[in-house]
Amino acid sequence: MSEEINTSQLVSAATSEQMIEINKMNKWYGDFHVLKDINLTVHKGERFVICGPSGSGKSTLIRCINALEEHQEGDIIVDGIKLGKNLKNLDHIRTEVGMVFQNFNLFPHLTILENLTLGPIWVRKMAKADAVETAMMYLERVKISEQANKYPGQLSGGQQQRVAIARSLCMSPKIMLFDEPTSALDPEMIKEVLDVMVELADTGMTMIVVTHEMGFAKTIADEVIFMDAGDIVERNKPEAFFGNPEHERTQQFLNQIL
Amino acid sequence: MAIITKEKSPDRPAPLSETTPLGWLRINLFSSTFNTGLTLIMLFIVYLTISGVFAWGYLDATFVADKRRECYDNSLTGACWAGVIAWLDNIFYGRYPRDELWRVNLGGVLLVLWMAPLWMSRVKAKVLVGASVIIFYPFLAGYIFTGGDKSWFMQFMVSGAILAFIINMLNMLSGLIENTSFAKFLFKLSGQVEASDKTQRNLLYGVLFAAFIVIFAIQSSWTVTEVSWTKWGGLFLTLVISGIGIASSLPLGIVLALGRRSKLPVVRVLSTGFIEIFRSVPLITVLFMATTMFPLFMPEGFFLNKLVQGIISVVLFNACYMAEIVRAGLQAIPKGQFEGSHTIGLGYWGTMGLVIMPQALKHMIPNIVGNIIGLLKDTTLVSIIGLFDILGMLRSISKDIPWLGLHKEPLVFGAILFFIICFSMSKYSRHLESKLSAGNKR
Repeated sequence: MSEEINTSQLVSAATSEQMIEINKMNKWYGDFHVLKDINLTVHKGERFVICGPSGSGKSTLIRCINALEEHQEGDIIVDGIKLGKNLKNLDHIRTEVGMVFQNFNLFPHLTILENLTLGPIWVRKMAKADAVETAMMYLERVKISEQANKYPGQLSGGQQQRVAIARSLCMSPKIMLFDEPTSALDPEMIKEVLDVMVELADTGMTMIVVTHEMGFAKTIADEVIFMDAGDIVERNKPEAFFGNPEHERTQQFLNQIL
Repeated sequence: MAIITKEKSPDRPAPLSETTPLGWLRINLFSSTFNTGLTLIMLFIVYLTISGVFAWGYLDATFVADKRRECYDNSLTGACWAGVIAWLDNIFYGRYPRDELWRVNLGGVLLVLWMAPLWMSRVKAKVLVGASVIIFYPFLAGYIFTGGDKSWFMQFMVSGAILAFIINMLNMLSGLIENTSFAKFLFKLSGQVEASDKTQRNLLYGVLFAAFIVIFAIQSSWTVTEVSWTKWGGLFLTLVISGIGIASSLPLGIVLALGRRSKLPVVRVLSTGFIEIFRSVPLITVLFMATTMFPLFMPEGFFLNKLVQGIISVVLFNACYMAEIVRAGLQAIPKGQFEGSHTIGLGYWGTMGLVIMPQALKHMIPNIVGNIIGLLKDTTLVSIIGLFDILGMLRSISKDIPWLGLHKEPLVFGAILFFIICFSMSKYSRHLESKLSAGNKR
């Protein structure tokens, strides 16, 4: 697939370390200005946590990164490819960027194993036996290999979310995006999902996580970003962010949720 | 508060209504004097109706007679089934030549055999079986029914169809006996199980090609006499029209529905316009337009026979209804499913074909089957443009001199036939629904 990428849109090789580069990006929903002049650079292996009140644009920001939402102004460059109208590029980026949703979005008509092998077989053109092997390997890693032949509806929320993570990993993505992965889960299930994510972080995966789990943020984040009303208000190392928040709005937010 | 029960409460037997039919009757039909009265009155009405129908249709009915007069001599109040029985061949086959009826039967038997593997759980490669029916069967059946000289294209397609049918049967057998697909069985026979994909594929194509050549050579000497479409009629014609209607209106409906939801404005406007126009006119109008107006717009010498015009009208008309059913099904799929599918890199067609449609079609089954039943019944309207489908045949009995004025019995017979066909379809759709709902299991 990579030969088909339009070379004129490849940014110079020097930036290959940079997985994601966002320049002066703006987005509107109708008249509503959701994201305002966002600048963000993520290097390979970096782990960002984005937090902020609801409606601040955190989800929209990461959904723009794999083009589930279109942005109107500015540039987003992912894995050296500029996001735009070119559909070939879009499909390429989506295979390189994995995403985990709040509502899991597993395919209810397929078994867990089929959910995991669908992408590798149809997009990566893997042989079925290889795809199954990889899928079982990842299911092992998220500790639910014994559920491989069940349907998503038969699993608990925590298990479904772990399947969703494994499904993304099966595509061997370069970047993983998490959109409030634990918000729809019972407290006792949150831990099992976070454990899997911490393990994933330890393997050196580039991750952007939108979450309200501050304990988790402290453990894995290289930097924490606080967003409010479409602006990136503050970004800092986790110790500084939680220990000594600089901006007044960050302080307010942290007071409310901690 | 203290302990409320120290010991485990013993299990008690369920109330009578849950376990015995007698208990059920008492609770539901005879619970009070008033309800008992109502039940008895209803039973009496049911008895009156059924006994009346039974006396007319069986006890007083005449089954053997040469003309209507003899029915009356036998009984004045009973049905005259003799007329229907005398016309059975006409009702089923229309005016198809009596010596050639085996061709119609053969076509039907082939279709049943061809589709049979779809219902057998051990048989593999069901998608290919389904596709081969849709692609090849119409040509084979078309030739068997019409006959005459074969053009090169027809020879090609008929050979393909025969090959597909034979392979399908072999695949069914290997599925039933060996529990593998025919291809795997072939590799096993030739000792190529361990061979690379490429060798296996070449072997398979080689065998197919050789078989095709042989079949092509053999079939070129087979011909059957020509039977003009004007001789087609009865249930046979009804099933041909509705069969083609069903097989092509669903795929066309899916295409129209996707078109209507497309992001490309031209495609969207064209699909929407097409759907709205065809949906807003009655089928009769479409049929009349097709037979009277359409030829006026066509160039000189361009000629479609009435049967084809009728079929095209039925297909286009029903495709619009199918399109709206499909669109409703698509709208029921949450947006997250599209997003989930995009994030694993599937494009538009992958998303639609692998993720969205399989889920949506399942929701649509009741509506689709409802529409198919409607289509089957609507095809009786083609009698208006002069095709003698089953309704046309049933009504002409009353114009046949020995059976002059015999209206009731043929129509009752037709109603029973339609009921059997439609009810079994609806039963089958229920079965299909429960079979496909595996994914919703909890």
